[in-house]
Amino acid sequence: MSARLARPAFTLLLAWLVLYPVAIVVADSVRGDAVATFVSRPGEWGALWASLWISLASVALAAAIGVPLAFLFEWLEFPGRKALGSLIALPAVLPPFVGVLAFLFLYGESGFVARAVQAVFGLRGPPWRLQGAGAILLVHAYSMYVYFYLLTRAGLAKLDASMLEAAHALGAGRWETLRRVTLPLLRPSLAGAALLVFMTALGSFSAPYVFGGGFRVMTTQIVATKLNGELPLAMVETVALALVAALGLALLRRTEGDELLAALGKGAAPPRRPIRRAPIRALAATAGWLFTVLLLLPHLTLALVSLVPYSSWTTEALPPVLSFVNYQRLFGEPERLRPLVNSLWMAAASTLGAVALALAAGALARGQRAPRAPRAPRALHAPSPRDRWRGPIETLIALPWALPGTVFAIALTTTFSVHAPLALRWVLVGTVFLLPLAYLVRNLPITGRAVLAGYRQLDPALAEAAASLGAGRWTTFRRVTLPLLRPALAAGGSLAFVAALGDFVTSIVLYTYDNRPISIEIMSSLRLNELGVAAAFGVILMLVSALVLGFGARR
Amino acid sequence: MTPFVLLDGVHKQWSPTVRVGPLLLGIPRGEIVALLGPSGSGKTTVLRLLAGFEAPDAGRLVIDGEDVTALPPARRRCGMVFQHYALFPHLDVGGNVAFGLKGSPEPGAAGQKVAEVLALVGLAGFEGRKVQELSGGQQQRVALARALAPEPRVLLLDEPLSNLDPTLRERTRRELRALIKRVGITTLFVTHEQEEAFDLGDRVAVLNDGRLEQVGAADELYERPASLFVATFVGRANVVRGGGATARALGAHDGEVLVVRPERLRFADAGVPGTVRERRYTGAAAFYQVETERGERLEVLAGPEAARVGDRVYLEPAGVLTFPEERA
Repeated sequence: MSARLARPAFTLLLAWLVLYPVAIVVADSVRGDAVATFVSRPGEWGALWASLWISLASVALAAAIGVPLAFLFEWLEFPGRKALGSLIALPAVLPPFVGVLAFLFLYGESGFVARAVQAVFGLRGPPWRLQGAGAILLVHAYSMYVYFYLLTRAGLAKLDASMLEAAHALGAGRWETLRRVTLPLLRPSLAGAALLVFMTALGSFSAPYVFGGGFRVMTTQIVATKLNGELPLAMVETVALALVAALGLALLRRTEGDELLAALGKGAAPPRRPIRRAPIRALAATAGWLFTVLLLLPHLTLALVSLVPYSSWTTEALPPVLSFVNYQRLFGEPERLRPLVNSLWMAAASTLGAVALALAAGALARGQRAPRAPRAPRALHAPSPRDRWRGPIETLIALPWALPGTVFAIALTTTFSVHAPLALRWVLVGTVFLLPLAYLVRNLPITGRAVLAGYRQLDPALAEAAASLGAGRWTTFRRVTLPLLRPALAAGGSLAFVAALGDFVTSIVLYTYDNRPISIEIMSSLRLNELGVAAAFGVILMLVSALVLGFGARR
Repeated sequence: MTPFVLLDGVHKQWSPTVRVGPLLLGIPRGEIVALLGPSGSGKTTVLRLLAGFEAPDAGRLVIDGEDVTALPPARRRCGMVFQHYALFPHLDVGGNVAFGLKGSPEPGAAGQKVAEVLALVGLAGFEGRKVQELSGGQQQRVALARALAPEPRVLLLDEPLSNLDPTLRERTRRELRALIKRVGITTLFVTHEQEEAFDLGDRVAVLNDGRLEQVGAADELYERPASLFVATFVGRANVVRGGGATARALGAHDGEVLVVRPERLRFADAGVPGTVRERRYTGAAAFYQVETERGERLEVLAGPEAARVGDRVYLEPAGVLTFPEERA
């Protein structure tokens, strides 16, 4: 393909993958009387409102936990700070559905905590039921505070200590400095974290699905409607959810502000203040360790339950028998091994695809011009083709991020249930290819963001240096660009792989028997009350995720 | 008369080998003192001790008769201009300058003060500008205005000109001095450039390895350096170790080190013999590198046509500073 056509063709390919399915859902949803049905049912409005307030409350809770922790770990020095600081990000290795599973085993009505309370107080029934909005918020706060923690820490690490000293020298005390200098300077980090949490909470499916009970949010409502066979109504619901997501995105983007804020600071971050008074230091360390244990409890619970053989544990506070029988069954029975194999190949294939598309996007939107023979100078400031296509390409790559997973699942299942090659639609529903395609589209923003950032950091002079040494365009890409992008590729690829591996929300809409992934298998094990098997699957997912993320973070 | 600012036996130990002090330094009201020293000599630490960002291990800090040693920075009323200015990027120029002004009973008083201080630094009407859009020199003046606005008792400047274009520096230096003198504020500033210290300071305090070597006016430091370090750090100097023929020819005894300024060496008919190896022309004069018979190099400042490369010459000193040999 000639270089002239590469950018438009690639943009069209992205639009077909990302925009087209959503457009079809929007077009289909306004046809017929589904909109009227949607408007007339109070349950729909209730679900929409629930989605919104649950997301906002999740932001508030996650900030309330994550921001103070970030200050504690970035500004103060106490025994165990380093080890605890990395452990504290552990919720990140729990895929959403596995995290929900762990919470069920831990805090559910027949979980460890409930059993312990029951045993201690001699109660006849379970002391509580883990259900409704409170349960959802508990899971969200646990899994999403990490965004606030990591982004605030990163922001604090970039903070220029002399800014704070300048405020002190001008007469501002500690609190006033925090209010008037530190927090305003952290605003981009905080707004970024708020946006991440809002979007994640809005698209969250696992927690409402398992703990919602009668409490419906939009994501669970959509899947329920689709299972009822009311596909047109499901589409309207999908569009409504997408609109809320777009609204949230627009609002938060406005408060995010420009990234120039950190540009002025040249100094180093303030040094960590050691806590001098021994009792307070001991208190901080103890609180840190306790908190870490609290964070690790779900992981430990999962590991413990995975060792409980089927129906061997009934009313005891702790399981009486522990063995590896669940793992033996999992690896011994081909039918149980299938989901593991399915998840691995689909995650690998979709990640490869997403990385390849991200690389192409980077090369076409950000790559260096291969130096050619000089030609007539263009008019000053006339945009090059690269500049002209950069906006569309980068927007399309980032778009899936702004839409909840359920939206894409419904959009893809609608688009690819029709055979109309002229409209670029084929029947993929019922084949094993639709689900990995959905993973790929959903992961485009993750790999795209990493690769584009990597491209931005490349020194333009390097490509020119390679060219002056006689390297052609491909040689330059292979021997200079690709090696330099390796960390970005590893980071983006590992995140995408883990997201695909643990996916539940798109899987539940798009899976077939032949490509059922682990999360679906966990759900059916749970239905059959095979808790040990479900937990064993969860442990495997958790370990593979941790391994892959660790590989991706390696420098 | 008791000094306005007093560092009385101030001492700060960073590690067994790195320390600052004990220092004794008094600054009369309205004086500008330059803290001059090589990097790592502890200049900035002295500034930060006075501002309250570091706490001394021993000693007292006194400002206007008040012991401020235990006072937090926010209550010391020391205006500080940071090396990279540390302007708040989330506030405009007016917001930066107004930061240290407490809520005044009458409205508009803060705005009036901001306008007044901005006019003082030559940036009248800049209130609404973004700090990122300013040039380096303008940012420096905003930082100065911000420090001066709350009417501090002492002004502290950390390498105030190091971030400026060299061509801009000399002019800014004179403007800065004029401005400080107009305000009349007692000022301590840090620099590693001798020219800057001489130009801007009423007195210069030379710091080396955490200790004050000498405090005095510029000519005093140059003409009567208290130590070999001051003699070599302030101004150009030829250093001749004792024991050699050259040293003896210049009149040194064993165990002494001689320092001769280039302008205090003359080409003459008799004296230390040598050969001109290099000539560096600077316009009104020229620097000559003369190699003695024992291989030492001496720098001589003389007229531009005084000698040519390759000439055999004799050097005669017109003023020699003598210091005891340092114990290694």
